[in-house]
Amino acid sequence: MIAAQRHHPVQILFKIGRLIRNSVFIFLVLFVFQGDNSSLYVVYGRYAFSLFFLWFLVSSVLTWLTTTYALDDQRFYLRRGIFSKTDQSIPFSKVQNINRHTSFVHRLLGLTSIRFETGIAGEDASVKFEVVTQNEAARLETAVQEQKESLVSEVCTNIDRAGAAPETERVIRKPQEERVIHFQPTRQDLLKASMTSFSFLLLVPLLASLYYNVSEFFGLEERLDGIGSTLVSSPWFIALAVGLMILASFVFGIIHSFIKYGKYKISSDTQRVYIQKGVLSEAAFSIAKERVQAIEITQTFTKRILGLAEVKLISAGSLSMGPEDMSISSLYPFLPKKRAYALVTELLPGYRIQEDMNRLPRRALWIRLLVPSWLWLIATAVLIYFRPEFLGFESTWWIASSLLLAIVFTSRVLDFLHTRYCLNDELIQLKNGGFTSTLFVTKREKIVEVEITQNRIQRKFGLSSLQTVTRARPIHTSYLKDVPDTMASTFRHWYRGRMKEVELDNAN
Amino acid sequence: MNDFNAAPRHSLSPNAINYWRREELISNLIAFVVLAVLFYLDWRFDWYNWIGWILIGLAIIFLIGLVWSVLSPPLTFKSWRYDLDEEFLYLQFGIWNRTEQLVPMTKIQAVSLTQGPLMRKYKLASLSVETMGSSHAIPALPKETAAELRERIAHFAKIKEVEQ
Repeated sequence: MIAAQRHHPVQILFKIGRLIRNSVFIFLVLFVFQGDNSSLYVVYGRYAFSLFFLWFLVSSVLTWLTTTYALDDQRFYLRRGIFSKTDQSIPFSKVQNINRHTSFVHRLLGLTSIRFETGIAGEDASVKFEVVTQNEAARLETAVQEQKESLVSEVCTNIDRAGAAPETERVIRKPQEERVIHFQPTRQDLLKASMTSFSFLLLVPLLASLYYNVSEFFGLEERLDGIGSTLVSSPWFIALAVGLMILASFVFGIIHSFIKYGKYKISSDTQRVYIQKGVLSEAAFSIAKERVQAIEITQTFTKRILGLAEVKLISAGSLSMGPEDMSISSLYPFLPKKRAYALVTELLPGYRIQEDMNRLPRRALWIRLLVPSWLWLIATAVLIYFRPEFLGFESTWWIASSLLLAIVFTSRVLDFLHTRYCLNDELIQLKNGGFTSTLFVTKREKIVEVEITQNRIQRKFGLSSLQTVTRARPIHTSYLKDVPDTMASTFRHWYRGRMKEVELDNAN
Repeated sequence: MNDFNAAPRHSLSPNAINYWRREELISNLIAFVVLAVLFYLDWRFDWYNWIGWILIGLAIIFLIGLVWSVLSPPLTFKSWRYDLDEEFLYLQFGIWNRTEQLVPMTKIQAVSLTQGPLMRKYKLASLSVETMGSSHAIPALPKETAAELRERIAHFAKIKEVEQ
C-alpha cells in the first residue's frame, strides 16, 4: 500500500476564504455599521464572532493535519477525524461518474477540484478532493479509470475463452486512444441558447437585489429621490433609459450564455463519455458508458417551438458539482432535436432512438378527461369561499376558475398527444408531459423493477398503467399511463427477457 | 419455469381472513372506546357546538370503516397472488387498483420475516423484501411457507449481476 498523504495545504486557505465570503456581512454589521454602538448585544456579538473565527481557523488546520488519503490499484483509503477517527475504503469499481470543477480562483493557482461519485447511499457518497494540483487530479482520475478498463478487458477475455470472436479484445485493449469530439456549440448555437434560456431577463432581478442590498445601508432611496423626480419629468429621458435597459439586458444575456455555455465540449472514447464546459471557471464530467443508467430528452414549450432539446444522462452517482451553477446534469441543453438523437447514438452504442413510436388509443383521452382535477376543485372551492376581487372585478372568481380549468384540460390533452411509447429490442422509450415533454430511454437490464397497475375505470376501458424504476440519485421512476392491455402483457414479457443481457457476477 | 402471462399461482394463507378480521376488530374496539369517551366528555362538559359536529363526522367515518373491515378481508385475500422462480418475484394485489410487481431476484437486497403476537396465534408470518428503491411485503403467509420462501429468495438473491 502506498503511503497516505494529506490534501493540498491551499485547502485551508480556500476554507477560510469561503468563511470570509459568507461572514463578511455579519462582520460589517458588527464592526463597521454598529462600530460605535456599545450595547450588550453588539459587544458580546463581537466576542462571539471573534471566538468563532479563531475556532474555525484552528479547526481547519487540525482537520487538514488529520485528513489523509491513499490509493492502490483497487481502492481509495480515506482517514479523517480530529478526535474520533474514521477510516474508509472505497473501491474504484463503485465509482459511477467523475466530476471535475475548476473555479476561477483554482485556475489562477493552477489547481482544481475533483469528485468521484459513487452510488452508495448517504453522506459518504462521494470521494472529494476540494483542492488538488492538476497533475494529482489527473493521476487520481487515471487510477480510477484504468481499474475499470482492466475490468472490462478481463470480462472480454472470459468471453474469448468461451469461444467468441477474438477481434473484440484487440479493440478494447488499445491503450489511451484519441477522444472523438461530438459537439461544440457554434456562435449561432450560443445566440439561440441565450434567447431560449431567457438569460436576458436575469439582469433585472440581479440589479434589483443589488439595489436593495446597498440601499438598506446607505439610504440610497432618499438620495436618488431628488435626482429621480427631475429626470422622470422628461419623457425622452424615460424612453432612452428604457431602451438602454433593454439593450443592456440583451448584451448581458448574451454574455451570460457565452460564459456559461461557451466552451462546451462533448467527446468520447470507447470507454467513457466526457463533457466539459465553462469559460471563467471550468467543469468537466466523465462517466463510463456502461454506467449510464438511462437517457432523458426534455423539451420545454419554448424549446419545442425552436426545435431544440436537452439530453440528460442519468447516473447512479450524484451529478452536481456544488452550489454554483456549474452542475453538469445534461449534455448541451440547447441541441437541435435531430442532432440530439444522433448524438445519443454516437455516444452510447446500443441506444438507437426510434422516432416513430406508438400513440395511446383514443379511449385513453376520455379516461383522462373524466378524472376529476383535485387542483381545480380545491382552487375553485377557495375562490368561491373568499371571492377575491381583482382590480375591483366582482366576477374574478369564476373567470379565474374557468381559466384554471382550461389550463388543466389543455395540459391533459397535450399530455395525451405527447405520450408515446415503444419497445425497441432491449430499449424502452417512454414519452410524456403536457407543456414540457420528456422522453425517457433505458435498457431493460438497467431497470430495477417494474409495476403494472389497473384501476376499476381502466379495467372497463381495457387500459393499464406501467411504471419502471431505475437507479439514480434519488431513485428514478417513470410512468406510462393508460396503455392498452396487450401492451401491458408485451411489456411484462419484454421485461422477463432481461436475463438475456444481464451478466452474472460469478465472483460471489 | 412459470409462465408469467398467467396469473401468479400462489395465494395467501386462508387463515389470513380470520386474522385480518380479528385485527380489525381490536382496532375498531379501541376506536369505539375512544369515540365513546369523547362523546361522553362532550355531553358532560358541554363542549362547543362544532366539536359535537366533528364527533358526529368521526362516528360516521368509523361506521363506514366498520362495514369495510367486515367486507374487505375476503376481497383482499382473493386479490392477492404471488409467485417466484430463480429470476423473478412476482406480486399481484389490490381490490380497487390491481397492482402487479415484477422484481428481479438479483436486485433484492434483503429479505425479512415478521410475526406479531396475533399473527403467531394464527400461525402466520409476513415476508418483506427490500430492493434498491422500495420494499415489498407479502402480508399473511403460513409460517412454514414464509420461512421456506425466505430461504429460497435469499438463495436466489445471492447470485449478483455485474454491477453497472
